[in-house]
Amino acid sequence: MTTGAPAGAADLEAGLRKAEPCKACHGADGNATIPGTPSLAGQPVYFTHWQLIKFRDGRRKDPQMSPFATNLSDTDMADLAAFYAAQRPQARPAVTEPAKVEAGRQLATLHHCVSCHRPGLTGHEQVPRLAGQDLAYLVKLLRGFKAQTAGDLDGTMTTAAQPLSEADIENLAHYMATLPPVPSPSR
Amino acid sequence: MLRITLTSVAVLLALAFAIGPLADAQQAQPQPAPTWKQGQPANMADSTLAPIAQPPAPKAAGEIPVDKIKVPAGFKVSLWAHGINNAREMVWGDKGTLFVSSRVAGNVYAVVDNGGSREVKVIAKGLNLPNGVAFRNGTLYIAEVSRITKMVGIEDKLDNPPAMEVVYDILPRDLPHGWKHLAFGPDGKLYFNIGAPCNICLPPDTHANLSRVNPDGTGFEYVAHGVRNSVGFDWHPVTKRLYFTTHARDWMGEDSPSDRFDVVTRKGQHFGYPFCHAGDMLDPEFGKGKSCNDYVKPLIKTGPHVAGNGVEFYTGAMFPAEYQNRAFLAQRGSWNRSKKIGFRVMMVTIDAKGGVAKYEPFAEGWLQGEEIWGRPVYTRQMKDGSLLIADDYAGAIYRVSYSR
Repeated sequence: MTTGAPAGAADLEAGLRKAEPCKACHGADGNATIPGTPSLAGQPVYFTHWQLIKFRDGRRKDPQMSPFATNLSDTDMADLAAFYAAQRPQARPAVTEPAKVEAGRQLATLHHCVSCHRPGLTGHEQVPRLAGQDLAYLVKLLRGFKAQTAGDLDGTMTTAAQPLSEADIENLAHYMATLPPVPSPSR
Repeated sequence: MLRITLTSVAVLLALAFAIGPLADAQQAQPQPAPTWKQGQPANMADSTLAPIAQPPAPKAAGEIPVDKIKVPAGFKVSLWAHGINNAREMVWGDKGTLFVSSRVAGNVYAVVDNGGSREVKVIAKGLNLPNGVAFRNGTLYIAEVSRITKMVGIEDKLDNPPAMEVVYDILPRDLPHGWKHLAFGPDGKLYFNIGAPCNICLPPDTHANLSRVNPDGTGFEYVAHGVRNSVGFDWHPVTKRLYFTTHARDWMGEDSPSDRFDVVTRKGQHFGYPFCHAGDMLDPEFGKGKSCNDYVKPLIKTGPHVAGNGVEFYTGAMFPAEYQNRAFLAQRGSWNRSKKIGFRVMMVTIDAKGGVAKYEPFAEGWLQGEEIWGRPVYTRQMKDGSLLIADDYAGAIYRVSYSR
């Protein structure tokens, strides 16, 4: 006999129920409308689950989000991640500037974003979808990775963000926000 | 001619500055790819090979097919503990607590054996890739990317762990290959690796090595150079020599270069990275003008992309006599190869002269066809001579026992 924290099969219905407190900011179906708050709809299961672990363990901090994650169990996280992955992502309304979008498109190539985030920046496994994500949130996160306060899984994003200037961050965010929010092909 | 050339350079430089601010020029530069993608040849740009994602949660007991693990006749495998997210290195406390590290999960665990069952406690969380754990005189030492810390008297305070006191915190902060194996050597010093901050690059002199420091944080020194990333080593029980595994660079082919198993015979030896791989293959970029004969050759070429992690010499009383002083090598398994390889524990028999008599499988079965369900990453002998194997993918620990 062994004991521990078994990870049961994720439960969509339980996820819907457990997502009740999340709705106020992230939207009923994981499509948020508040600038600076990410949409979780269609994000890969591994991604959302790992982020919740990071918030719970204090590796990623946010005054609004951190308290919600404090008491989540592994099962809660699995259910929430499965629920959000099953939702259909919608584009976030954003005022983007064509010159910044074009500069961001070039930067995304120079910085190899598709290597991990996949073509179309749709995300994959532990890597989030960036396409159609909220502009203000993208800026906030990229700044956080550069400042090494965003909480990284294995260091890939922290390393990638170091050469980015403030203008680069803005341009990249404008580009990503304009891409169609195609859900990740991996769940 | 020289004068003209220098003048031309000066003119070009002046032009460059006149054209625009330096910041703009830098912006247009391609940046290094993510570590795993570096060194990928142009003709493989569309390759779908990528590191295997780490699941965010450990598998439930019922999802762990222990019976698929094959071991030699007379040996038996059981599930010893589970629910340990990303379980990696294991080390015993003086009072019988098993301390278990993790990497991306950021946790250190204490596993308390209550006879028939095991209780898992998280004693530290939110750490920076805390792969290394070592124990001595009641104190647990933990290696994160850029620091080594300790918890004094931890075994008496598992539910209220003491503060982590800094032992040494001026290690490089690079995250790629920044996670560490940590172990006490026969000289009482703490040994660890400082990996190359890349797949392939000319690393700074401070990287790609094995290093050691006194447990009080004094006396830092390099032990071996040219080591790309070793996250497993141990000392031979008789000769006291240091043996280590190394992960070789990626994107140089399905079957090359081989990973390696090495022995340090003299402090300061150079094992070839980034100039020469596996002792006989010059790097296409960094090998130019170099000779593999200038570097130490591997004791064993352990196979391409196998990802050798844990090394442990067997000294227990349970396994048959021929197992004495054999080394167990846990191979976490490949990603940069279309046909998977590794995902097994190998064993090495070293002869009286220090040569390799045999290199053969000990436990395998985490890879079924091209599907994996677990990744063996470190081993640790139990007091009774049985062998624990940690699986960071399933978040489990197995016990291998023997009875004749």
